[in-house]
Amino acid sequence: MRDRSIIHLNVTDFAVAVERLQDNSLREKAVIVAPLQAARALVYDMSEEAYGDGVRKGMRLDIAMRRCRKACVLMPEISRYRQAMQAVLGQVCAYTPLVERGEEDGHLFLDVTGTHRLFGPPQDIAWRLRKQVLANLGLDPVWSLASSKLVSKVASRMARPLGECIVGHGEEAEFLAPLSLSLLPGIKPAERRLMQDFNLRSIGELAALSRVQLRVPFQKRADFLHDISRGRDRSLVLPERNGTSRIVCEYHFDTDICERRVLTDTLTPLIHDIGRELRRRGHVGQRIGIRLFYSDGRSVVRQASCRGGSDNDFRLRELALAALNRAWQRRTRIRSCILICDRLLPRSRQQTLFSMQSKKEEQQGRMLAAMDTICHRFGRNAVRLGTS
Amino acid sequence: MTGESRINKPGSLCPVLIGTSGYSYTEWVDSDFYPQGTRAPEMLALYARRFPIVELNYTWYQMVRAEAISRMIAKAPASFLFTAKLTRTLTHERDRNWREELQKYREGIRPLQRQLAAILVQLPPDFTWTTANRYYLASLLDGLHGFPLAVEFRHVSWARDSVFAELESRKITMVTVDAPPLPGLFPCLNVVTNPEFFFVRFHGRNKQGWVSGNMQKKFDYCYSDDELHRWNEQYLQKIRAQTGNGFVFFNNHVRAQAPENAQQLQKILQEG
Repeated sequence: MRDRSIIHLNVTDFAVAVERLQDNSLREKAVIVAPLQAARALVYDMSEEAYGDGVRKGMRLDIAMRRCRKACVLMPEISRYRQAMQAVLGQVCAYTPLVERGEEDGHLFLDVTGTHRLFGPPQDIAWRLRKQVLANLGLDPVWSLASSKLVSKVASRMARPLGECIVGHGEEAEFLAPLSLSLLPGIKPAERRLMQDFNLRSIGELAALSRVQLRVPFQKRADFLHDISRGRDRSLVLPERNGTSRIVCEYHFDTDICERRVLTDTLTPLIHDIGRELRRRGHVGQRIGIRLFYSDGRSVVRQASCRGGSDNDFRLRELALAALNRAWQRRTRIRSCILICDRLLPRSRQQTLFSMQSKKEEQQGRMLAAMDTICHRFGRNAVRLGTS
Repeated sequence: MTGESRINKPGSLCPVLIGTSGYSYTEWVDSDFYPQGTRAPEMLALYARRFPIVELNYTWYQMVRAEAISRMIAKAPASFLFTAKLTRTLTHERDRNWREELQKYREGIRPLQRQLAAILVQLPPDFTWTTANRYYLASLLDGLHGFPLAVEFRHVSWARDSVFAELESRKITMVTVDAPPLPGLFPCLNVVTNPEFFFVRFHGRNKQGWVSGNMQKKFDYCYSDDELHRWNEQYLQKIRAQTGNGFVFFNNHVRAQAPENAQQLQKILQEG
């Protein structure tokens, strides 16, 4: 298999970087992004200056303000960050279709393997991308280049807040060895604690243990930990999150809510929008994810999936409710929610020999098709599903 | 620095080491310079079987790190030589922290010192002959004192006697460039400013590619045998007569044209 070239672009402190584009006076000032009205607001993002004073993501705002008294506090503008993320994505798509993006966090992975004949060496692509994003959007991303997502992500962490890092093919293990285990992604908190108990501090110390040795404390995770400690990561850059390969619906509540019933009622029209879009495209969705944004600035994401996928609103609603059950963990008020349908597949056009659908599902299918026709003609709110 | 440097006897020509700008190109496998299936970590050892010297251009993209340099040296024979480009934050993307960057570069390049033929200071086309730029260049060269240096100008405004005289007084090599004949570009000159070594870079003569902004087009050029013969007669022989050593690099890396031309020039020099 050919060596892969994975570029990781990371606009550090993304929310702050976007806010600074809007307001130039924020440059070189300590900035904290956190919801101001919430009683127990948590830090959503902070500038390098605030980080230097000890402010961290997820920290309570009152503690953060004590640590960095001169900080300017701004409300998170998620939709603005999403737009900025989309703009960054627009800049990089010309180089490769294999782009995997994070949510509104300024992280992008690009697989540029095999593009050298068009665009030249991968390090030149990465450098050009950074220049392009800086010139066109005013955002200055850190970039790194390595043979895998894992190593490129660690390399970016090494390069931040500004700069670049190239890890040559075959140098992954040597590059990682002296670094702290805290820089290695994919380790669970319980595993991290266990590693501390064993006095394992650097990635190299973990890599020095054999699979057999690792199996004693880490059992099934031993192989995974053994591989990542040596920089072995075959995970693919998954472009499914960009543009047309997922469907996203969002709802902002007029006032923050805490009743589950209000939320489930809100999900129904969102599901209907997703189902209609799936049927229009001739796709089925295999996974529904829900992301809840709380008034204190935190968010929770959970998913539910089904084999084979579905474009039936009733089935999709079941999945959404299952995802909601998993996400319903906190008693904090909810400000907005996003419903995401991904892992899309083209709907099979081939008829099965024996009907796989129940009579009820067939009826539902016909009813949804009729509703789609009405919505198409009279607008999306002309007819809606009711819930009991 | 590279072995001993000497001043030639009148009429005699100095030895020339020929290599390419960079060696780690996947497309050189596609073009059969490297055997099929060659992976990036194996390339330097294979390259060193064909050429005695290489120009490291990855050092332009990122700040050199001593540990990475040490790992790289271990893959090449002890007699193999390197030239290293100065990092872009000191040439193309200069900012007020450039002195810190320079210090990092000096520390990062240290493991290479025994096999370091020269540091290449490649300046961008918009780096023109202005007072501020002259001060900057002087400070930069002062900061690199102790290393063998070669300066490549890309703007024609630097082609003046006062610049040559200053480089000569500092014993710094001015790079002789072969590039497309475009207005504003630094011309190809056979001026020698350092009797210890000369430094030649062949960029190819792709006029349209040069202004395209695409590296694959910019350096997509293959020199003909005739062009290399003429270049040898017109420039190389003259500068060889005035220096103790010489380094020649081909930067037209696209489709492995650089190693092909490098081998052609090697053959021409052996015949001559």
